Amino acid sequence: MTNEHPFIEDIPAYAIGALDAAHAAVLQTHLKTCQTCQAELAAYGVVSDALLMALPAQMPPAALRRRLLTRLPGAQKREARPKLAWSFNQFAFGFAMFLLLALNAFSVFQMLSLQRQQAVLARQVQTGQTALAALAYPETRSLPISGENITGTLLLDEERNVAVVIAWNLPALQASQTYQIWLIDPQGKRTSGGIFTPQTDLPFTSVSVLSPGSLSNFTGIGVTVEPAGGSSQPTGKRIFKVDF
Amino acid sequence: MVIQNDTELLAQIAKGDELAFISLYDRHASHVYALALRILHDPMLAEEATQDAFLKLWSRARQFVAERGSLLVWLLTITRRTALDRLRLESRRPSLSDATDPDELWNIIPQTDTLSEESRWRSMALVIKTLPPDQCQVLELAYYQGMSQSEIAEVLGWPLGTVKTRLRAGLEHLRQAWGER
Repeated sequence: MTNEHPFIEDIPAYAIGALDAAHAAVLQTHLKTCQTCQAELAAYGVVSDALLMALPAQMPPAALRRRLLTRLPGAQKREARPKLAWSFNQFAFGFAMFLLLALNAFSVFQMLSLQRQQAVLARQVQTGQTALAALAYPETRSLPISGENITGTLLLDEERNVAVVIAWNLPALQASQTYQIWLIDPQGKRTSGGIFTPQTDLPFTSVSVLSPGSLSNFTGIGVTVEPAGGSSQPTGKRIFKVDF
Repeated sequence: MVIQNDTELLAQIAKGDELAFISLYDRHASHVYALALRILHDPMLAEEATQDAFLKLWSRARQFVAERGSLLVWLLTITRRTALDRLRLESRRPSLSDATDPDELWNIIPQTDTLSEESRWRSMALVIKTLPPDQCQVLELAYYQGMSQSEIAEVLGWPLGTVKTRLRAGLEHLRQAWGER
């Protein structure tokens, strides 16, 4: 101990934290201004650090590692193996989304199909009602339909501009085909009176003729097979013809 | 595979990178646990202290300044303080003063190149074995049991001056042996 460095003998104990608190506080104040004592402390500080490392290494139980991983607040996962799990999760999620979309698409398709069937049924009901109404009217004419293996009736009420075709044994068509009604004027010009497909659940097909003008302007109708969606003029085979 | 140094790993830990944390744990856990076990003499308590030390590393990663010294010293200093606090809690002894806090120590200890000489530290174990038993005993109580000189004097029934002399002599011996290596 010297007058200039009164605490220098306490520095070894201070360096390893063994100096009593009161003495440590006094020494700490002295250290702030004494470079010699700072150097002395640095030398013993290295010894203190070396004591930390002087022990033979010993692995802790593996459970500690696992436990630590569960207790890290705000950790960002970045492990190699979870990447596979992540990919699997992504695949599972994608597959689930695909199933969901497919289910939705199927539901929409079903709904549209039902709407189409409903529209067809409504049109058939309307046609049936129209046919019944026409039959009940005394001025309605029943004109026979005659074609190859096809029979039926054309109900015609020119006064009310109503005409309904009721045909039996109409052959089924391919998906790319349709029947088309043609209104025939005195000059032989053909005007479309609508398209239809034969009913599959009934032995006959009833369909209203859609006339763009008064039926009295026409002398008869004809039905041909046309490409799906119809044609502007007859292009296919004529199935039958009825003269008014 | 790129092997990252401690400072690089700690920078990633500061960003919350769990994989970097595990890499650092695998690298240093054996030193941390060994120190905690030496202080606490109980595997379960040593596990808890090791866990606490690494959780402190996780939460304080941004506070580490590489220029002040190696990360392992920083981590072991945290471990020693954590274990000694636990020991004092168990034995109802007062807590350590802030002078042993690693951040506080760094404020007063000038940086030296020797701090990074990890391989030399391991030779310290051999030097300690050459100390006289009474010096070794005082050093054990002071360093690994966290006792002050007064507490050691009381426990051993020695005069305080004797404790101071033996502790100073032991540390002086270690310092000289260290300087020769």
